[in-house]
Amino acid sequence: MPRLNSHRELEHLRERLREQRQNITTTVMVCGGTGCRTSNSQAVIDAVRDELSSQGLDDSVRLCVTGCHGFCEQGPVIIIEPGNIFYCHVSPEDAFEIVYQTVMKGEVIERLLYEDTVSGERFKTEAEIPFYKAQDRRILSQNRLVDPCAIEDYIVAGGYSALPRVLNGIAPEEIINEIKSAGLRGRGGGGFPTGRKWGDCMEAPSDEKYVICNADEGDPGAYMDRCVLEGNPHLVLEGMMVGARAVGARKGYIYVRNEYPLAVKNSRIAVEQARELGLLGDNILGSSFSFDVDIARGGGAFVCGESTALMASIEGKVGEPRAKDVHTVVDGLYHKPTTLNNVETWANVPAIILNGSSWFASKGTKASKGTKILALTGRIKNTGLVEVAMGTSIREVVFDIGGGGANGNSIKAVQTGGPSGGCLPLDKFDLAIDFDVLAEAGSMIGSGGMVVMDEETCMLDVAKYFLTFLQDESCGKCVPCRLGIDRMLEIITDITEGRGRMEQLDLLEELADTVSQTALCGLGKTAPNPVLSTLRYFRPEYEAHIKEKKCPAGVCKALITYWIDPDKCTGCGVCISGCVHEAITGEKKEVHVIDAQLCQKCGICRSECKFDAIQVV
Amino acid sequence: MLQYVNVNIDGATVRAPRGTSVLDAAIEYGICIPHLCHVPFLSDIGACRLCIVEHVVNGYSKVTTSCTLNVEEGMVIRTNTDKIRRLRRNLAELLVAQAPNSRAIQDIALRCGVKEVRYPFRNEDCVLCGRCVRVCTEIWQARAIGFVGRGKDRHVDFPFGIRPDFCKQCGNCVQICPMTIPPCDGPMKPGKEYLCRKCESQLIDETPGSCSWCKLGEGFGCGRYVGV
Repeated sequence: MPRLNSHRELEHLRERLREQRQNITTTVMVCGGTGCRTSNSQAVIDAVRDELSSQGLDDSVRLCVTGCHGFCEQGPVIIIEPGNIFYCHVSPEDAFEIVYQTVMKGEVIERLLYEDTVSGERFKTEAEIPFYKAQDRRILSQNRLVDPCAIEDYIVAGGYSALPRVLNGIAPEEIINEIKSAGLRGRGGGGFPTGRKWGDCMEAPSDEKYVICNADEGDPGAYMDRCVLEGNPHLVLEGMMVGARAVGARKGYIYVRNEYPLAVKNSRIAVEQARELGLLGDNILGSSFSFDVDIARGGGAFVCGESTALMASIEGKVGEPRAKDVHTVVDGLYHKPTTLNNVETWANVPAIILNGSSWFASKGTKASKGTKILALTGRIKNTGLVEVAMGTSIREVVFDIGGGGANGNSIKAVQTGGPSGGCLPLDKFDLAIDFDVLAEAGSMIGSGGMVVMDEETCMLDVAKYFLTFLQDESCGKCVPCRLGIDRMLEIITDITEGRGRMEQLDLLEELADTVSQTALCGLGKTAPNPVLSTLRYFRPEYEAHIKEKKCPAGVCKALITYWIDPDKCTGCGVCISGCVHEAITGEKKEVHVIDAQLCQKCGICRSECKFDAIQVV
Repeated sequence: MLQYVNVNIDGATVRAPRGTSVLDAAIEYGICIPHLCHVPFLSDIGACRLCIVEHVVNGYSKVTTSCTLNVEEGMVIRTNTDKIRRLRRNLAELLVAQAPNSRAIQDIALRCGVKEVRYPFRNEDCVLCGRCVRVCTEIWQARAIGFVGRGKDRHVDFPFGIRPDFCKQCGNCVQICPMTIPPCDGPMKPGKEYLCRKCESQLIDETPGSCSWCKLGEGFGCGRYVGV
């Protein structure tokens, strides 16, 4: 495609592309996100494509390989427009039926429709499904409209409309004021007001400035940044262009983990396509504004999501944080003023410029505006990516969207914000998803991870898991983080293995406070949160481990024993054949017995037993 | 020309050239802030965190390390509040539990008010203060040693574990190491895991508000000694 030299040429291109697509009657949108790809959506895509061309439908039906639709658990997912028909768990063998019946005849295939996990009802359209219905999908809903590898799709969908607006007309100060009055706060974890960050960066005197997109998402169980970047990279790029224009940067970086190969690939393609059209490079759309973006791949260190460590990594140094007494908006990448924002923050920017700050601020609470993407995982019926307005209660997310506990178990807690966040108990589920509300309760929104836990989860085990994660991922530079996390883990391990003493709880609290106040970077400062929040809300569980030497959830191996309930055991022998340690003995049709000496507490027998006879005490 | 700024440290107005760290300015005026990884003429990395101070801005106090904080006009610093003493003591306790045989660490711990250590002792020889790495990199430009590994596995080593030709064998890394002071003969015999309290700092019960030119400072290269 030829280079675009003005705003008018961009609009011409948009109109021409729309005209070309006028004779398309049906669009088949197959999810090609990482989640669906792991459930073999590539084979589905190939099968549908072959089927369409063998039926001669290439011209009238458009096959769109999109980014993630959010409901990853149901993958591979297909949506067919018009009709908004939603098929899930599609296999390549279904391609013929989908094309012949739904695309050509308009009939719905009952068996591929989504069956609700709660009511058992089948829903025909995406909009009806409770998982989607309760959401407010401002960013994620754009994913299904575009093929991330085709800039044309993004332009047809109305993309790159904010860019000409900031190039001709709105002054940088006005852009920043618009972002400030929208009340956009950083989606990466800290919740720092984006407008203020941009304002400080704009005012910092320098001939060279940078903007960076932080796509180094590493929280266990969270993948919203990956989903946005690999599903709609042009949206992020456009946001970065607006930001660069506002702060006066000529160069940008997308720092993306190498473990996200599809995000790396799609963002590279997007940058090349934008360069080809002249949307990146010198004199963008004939203006005096020049801006280019490079992709920097991260090696997967969690600490490199911290701003100064990330910048050190881009500079080619070891990814270690440094003291931030001078902020990165003044002294950042290559010691130049740098604006660093998360993927989701950048993705919010174009819509604010297009629709105005009051549109953005119409959703949300007093201090937290707009929507937030959450990664809902754990012991819950519906898992996936969820976008809700700020101010939605945790209860709505967990029960209305998530459908409640998996296997009918009752839910005990939710862990928000990844390793830096905290656990909130069931009686705090009415709290709103809001930066300040959650921070006050001892947790945080963080990047948006939301792990749901039920009665079979031991909170000490959770704290131990996150401390182990942080111990591995700490850079080891400063004493409180390196030794403090190590000692906290040592104490919790003592408690879970039955060597705990009550005075250790006070020590744990004091140590956690010291680490959070004295650590060098954000990772260390928030590292004690999993310990502090579980201590605050689940202290009886800690005390049970120490005083009674019992694990109420039946998880901590040193404190539990397996035994067979003689009233329930039918002597079927399934557990005997399942036990790899040969710890179970017993004759057929007679009650079996577990040898406590040999038992390794692996839990295989318990999951194999159909009569619920194996109990944990 | 040097530009001077006025900083308020513990109520005293201190005049220091722009660009100096709060730690240097305080030591210059005899206000002692315990520190381990800071060495004059080397860059500061803020690793040991012992030199933490409260930086009061608009009524809010922020805990930060004084070695990485540069002086600014009108800055208000508190080096010796209850909170700082408590945090510093906890940090020193972590350090001394890691390297209980080091005289320098024992001295610092005692001076920071550590009376008992609530963690099981470990017998590490290195607390990763990074003095050796920085002297090799910055003064000798040799880069013969560096940090290897991450988190718990972090340690100081040669590249690929083999002494390279560009190591000039100057021995500065050894001289500057706080562990090279002859170790205490008191502590850490099996079963006797306690602080011996035979160090020079035994007479000082609490962290002094002003520098006492302690013998200890000479031992591990306190800025007061090396700097003057």
